[in-house]
Amino acid sequence: MSAPPPLVGLSELRAELDAGRTSSAQLVDRALERAEALQPRLRSFIGLRGESARAEAEQADARRLRGDPRSALDGIPVAIKDNMVQRGEPTTCGSRILEGFVSPYSSTLVEKLEAAGAVIIGRTNMDEFAMGSSTEHSTLGASSNPWDVSRTAGGSSGGSAVAVAAGIVPAAFGSDTGGSIRQPASFCGVVGMKPTYGRVSRWGLVAFASSLDQIGVFARDARDAALLLELISGHDPRDSTSAPEPAPDLRASLDGDVSGLVLGVPREYFVSDGVDPEVLARVHAAIAELEAAGAKLREVSLPHTYTAVATYYLLATAEASSNLARYDGVRYGRRAEGAQSLGDMYVRSRTEGFGAEVKRRILLGTYVLSAGYYDAYYRKAQQVRTLLRRDFDEAFAGCDVIVTPTSPEVAFSLGSRTEDPLRMYLSDVYTVSCNLAGLPGVSLPCGFSDGMPVGLQLLGPPLEEGRLLRVADAFQRRTGFHSERPPELA
Amino acid sequence: MSEGHPRYDVVIGLEVHAQLCTESKLFSPAPVAYGEPANHCVHPICLGLPGVLPVLNARAVEFAILAGLATHCTVQLHSVFARKNYFYPDLPKGYQISQYEEPICTEGWIDVVVEPGAAPRRIRLTRIHMEEDAGKLIHEAGAAGSDGTRVDLNRAGVPLLEIVSEPDLRSPSEAAAYLRTLRGILRYIGVSDADLEKGHFRCDANVSLKPRGTAELGTRTELKNLNSFRFVEEAISAEIARQAELHDEGTPVQQATMAYDPHTSRTRVLRLKENADDYRYFPDPDLVPLAISAEQIETARASLPELADAKCARFQSQYALTAQDAEQLTESRPLADYFEAAVAAYGLAKPVANWLLRDVLQALGELELGIEAARLAPESLAALIRLVDAGSTNAKSARGLVKELVANGGDPAALVHERGLEALSDSGELEAAVEAVLGEHPDDAEKFRAGEKKVLNFLMGQVMRRTAGKADPKAVRELLARKLGA
Repeated sequence: MSAPPPLVGLSELRAELDAGRTSSAQLVDRALERAEALQPRLRSFIGLRGESARAEAEQADARRLRGDPRSALDGIPVAIKDNMVQRGEPTTCGSRILEGFVSPYSSTLVEKLEAAGAVIIGRTNMDEFAMGSSTEHSTLGASSNPWDVSRTAGGSSGGSAVAVAAGIVPAAFGSDTGGSIRQPASFCGVVGMKPTYGRVSRWGLVAFASSLDQIGVFARDARDAALLLELISGHDPRDSTSAPEPAPDLRASLDGDVSGLVLGVPREYFVSDGVDPEVLARVHAAIAELEAAGAKLREVSLPHTYTAVATYYLLATAEASSNLARYDGVRYGRRAEGAQSLGDMYVRSRTEGFGAEVKRRILLGTYVLSAGYYDAYYRKAQQVRTLLRRDFDEAFAGCDVIVTPTSPEVAFSLGSRTEDPLRMYLSDVYTVSCNLAGLPGVSLPCGFSDGMPVGLQLLGPPLEEGRLLRVADAFQRRTGFHSERPPELA
Repeated sequence: MSEGHPRYDVVIGLEVHAQLCTESKLFSPAPVAYGEPANHCVHPICLGLPGVLPVLNARAVEFAILAGLATHCTVQLHSVFARKNYFYPDLPKGYQISQYEEPICTEGWIDVVVEPGAAPRRIRLTRIHMEEDAGKLIHEAGAAGSDGTRVDLNRAGVPLLEIVSEPDLRSPSEAAAYLRTLRGILRYIGVSDADLEKGHFRCDANVSLKPRGTAELGTRTELKNLNSFRFVEEAISAEIARQAELHDEGTPVQQATMAYDPHTSRTRVLRLKENADDYRYFPDPDLVPLAISAEQIETARASLPELADAKCARFQSQYALTAQDAEQLTESRPLADYFEAAVAAYGLAKPVANWLLRDVLQALGELELGIEAARLAPESLAALIRLVDAGSTNAKSARGLVKELVANGGDPAALVHERGLEALSDSGELEAAVEAVLGEHPDDAEKFRAGEKKVLNFLMGQVMRRTAGKADPKAVRELLARKLGA
C-alpha cells in the first residue's frame, strides 16, 4: 500500500481547511491511510479509530461550513499515547495486562481535544506503562525511527514522536516521566515539550510515577507546540496536583526576540564522558546560533546532577510499584485462567500480564519501599530530590533558560540495549532532572549526526513554558532543522 | 460489670474506626449510602480504574477537625496522606489511602464515666487519622465465579476516622465505657452516625497482661472486629482469661491477631504476627499535603456544640436533676435538646424529666424509634403534663396516651376528649359515683368515721372502678373526705 503524502504543520493545514482546498474528512482519511501504510515499517500505532474518526471529521466539516469551528484545531487529525483514556475506547499502555479494557470515562486531555474539535485518529505505541526509552517494551513490538528504520524511535512516547515525524499527524500527545517526550522528539527530529508539573491535568493519564508524570506535546515547530499546549493546559479540580493557573497565552511570546536573554550552560552537562562528541558539537553550534540572535551565555552549575539518574529510578520505581498494584485481574483487564487460589490468581495474572521491564521496576520499587530500606532509599531519594530542585533554583537566579543536549547520543540501533538495562537507564541523564524538579522542558531539532537528528533541550523555571518556546521559535526562525523530513518517507 | 484480673494488671488500648456521615466518599464523588444494591454507589475513582486520581472531600476534613477538637487533640496544620499497600480483592487500587507518619490529630483525651456518679477516668488518645474504607466480599456458594465470591465496592472509599487510644484502659467495662463515651462524642458533634449495626463504629482491641504491680508490659494480642459493646466486654474478658491461663502456666503469649467467637465465648488465634506485615507506606504522590489554617480550626472550635459531660453538669445545676437523670438525658444530643425544649414549654424541669425518661422513652423503646422520630413534639408533652396538673385528665389516662402521641402525633387535649378520658372532678358524675359507693358500703363509711382511716383507700378504689379510672384521684379523695365529714 503506498502512503498518501505527509501532513504538514498545523497552521498550513488550518489555512488549507479555511480556504476550502481540503476538508477534515480528507485530512483524516489521509492520516489514517498513511498510518496504515507505514505501520509495517514504523509500528507507530497500537490502535486506530477509523470509523469514529471519520464520523468526527464529517461533523467538523459541517461546523466549518456553518462558520462555527470550535478552535484552530477543529477537524485536525491528532494522535494520543496509549496511556490516555478515552470513553468507549480501549487503553492498553502497551501491556497485555490491560487486554480487553475499555474505558468508561475520558481523560481531561481527551475532553479538551474533543471540545476543541480535534479528531483523535488513534493510540500510539509506547513502552509498557511508559517504562522504557525505546518502545521495545511494548506488546506491539518497537516503533522504528522514520530516519532509519533499523534504529529506535526513542521512548516511551516513541509512537507519538514517529506519528509526527513521519507526517501521519501534525500533532500528537505523549507523557514524560523522565524524558519520555523529549528523548523520542530528539531521536525523531520533532519538537517535544514537557510542561511544568501540574500544568496539564493528569486525570485519565494512566499513572507510572505520579509525582513525575506530565502530559505534553509533539509538534513540527515551536509555534504549533505553543498552540497545542495552550489548548490542553489549565487547572483541573480532578487532579489535586494540578497547578492553580489558567492556561497561558504562549503564542504571544513567540516574537523571535531573544536579545538579552541569558542562556545558562550547565557545566555538569557538557562533560565529554559518555556523550557523543558529534551531539555535543551540534548543541554547541545551536547555542552559538542563539548567541548570534542576541542571547547571552553564562556557565551555571547543577552540582547534584550526578545523583539524578539514581534518584529518579528510586522514586519512579517506588511509585510505580504502588501505582501498578491495581492491575490484579479482579475487576478488569487480563485474569489468568486456571488459578487455584486468590494468591495464585494474582501471581499468574501479573506474571502473564506484565513484561520483563515492568516486573523489574515493580520489584525495584517494592524493595525501595520495604521496611528497613525505606530510609536508605526512598527517604534519602526524596531528600536528594530537594537538593536537585535547589540546584535549579540557584541556577535560574543567574540565567533565564538552561540549554543542554536532550540525549547523550542519537537514536541507537533497535535491540542494542535490551540486554543492558542499566546502560538504558543512564542515557536518561539529561532528561530526568527536569521531572524531579517539576520544570518545563522542550527538545527541538538542532542538526544531524550520522544522518540522525540531534535534539537541543531547553529547561526553564516553573510555569515559564512561554520563555522556552520563545527561544525555540527564535532558533527555528533562523534555522531549518525542523523542516527537514525523513528522506525515506518524503 | 466486668472487672480486670485479681493477679494481673490488664492493659487495653482500643482502635476505633468510625464512619463519617458525609454525603460522598473520601476521595470520590460517589455517594455514601447503606443498603443499596451492590456496586451502585461507585465511580471510576473508587473502582480504581486506570488513570483516576483522588480528590479529598473537604467536609470529611471539617469532621476530622471537629472530632479532634472534641477529644482535646492537637489538630495538625500539616498532615500527609499515605498509601498502605497490600493486595486484596476488596481493595481496588491495591493500596488504601490513609495517614501514617503525619496524622491530622494527635495527643488528646476523653473523660470516661465508668460507674455512674463515680469520678471519670481520663483516657488518652494517641492519634486520630483519616482513611478510606475497603469494599466488601460476599461469599455465595454456587454464585458466578469459581469459588462464588463476589466483590461489592459500595463501601470502598467511604471516609473513616481511625481513633487510637493509649493503653490506658484497665478492664473490659472501662473499654466498653470508653467506647460509649467516644460514640456519644462523635454523635454529639454530628460527624458520625456511629451505628454499630451498620458497621459505622468498629473496634479492635489490643490486650496484654502483666503481673500486678510490675512495670514491663506483656506481649499483646489484637482482637479484631468487635462490633457491639457487649462483644467488646465479652471478648476482652475471654482474652484476659486466656492470657492469664498462659501466664499461670508460664507459657509465653504470642503476638497474634485474635477473633472472638460469641458462641463459645472464647477467643482464637486468627494469625500469628511473627512476620510483621510490610505495608510499604509512603506519601501518596497523587495528593498534596493537607494544610489546615489556624482560622479553620478556630471556626470549627466555635461551631462545636456543648458536649455530653458539660451538658450533664449543667443539667444538674441548672435543672436540679440527679446525676443519674442528667446522665440519661444527655446521652444523646437529640434527647437533651428535646428535654430542654419541653422544659422551656412547661416551665419546670423535674416533671418533664420524669415523663420523658419514664413514659416517652418507654414508648420509643416499644415502637423501636429514636427520639428524633417521636411525633410528640416537646411542646405537646408539656401540654399533656399540664392537662394532668389542671385535673383535666388523670395521670394514668395521660400516660396511656403517650405511646399513641409518640407514634402518631396530634393534640393531647383533643385526644383526651376523643377518648372520653376527661377527669370527672368537676362534674356531677363524680359526686354521684361517690354517693353510690358510700350507699353500697355503709359499714365501711362507719368504720372510717370511727377512726379507721385506711378504709378511705378501699372506698377510693371503688370510686375509681365505678368511673372506669377517669376520675382524678385527688378530687375523689377530697370529695370522699368531705362526704364522710372528715
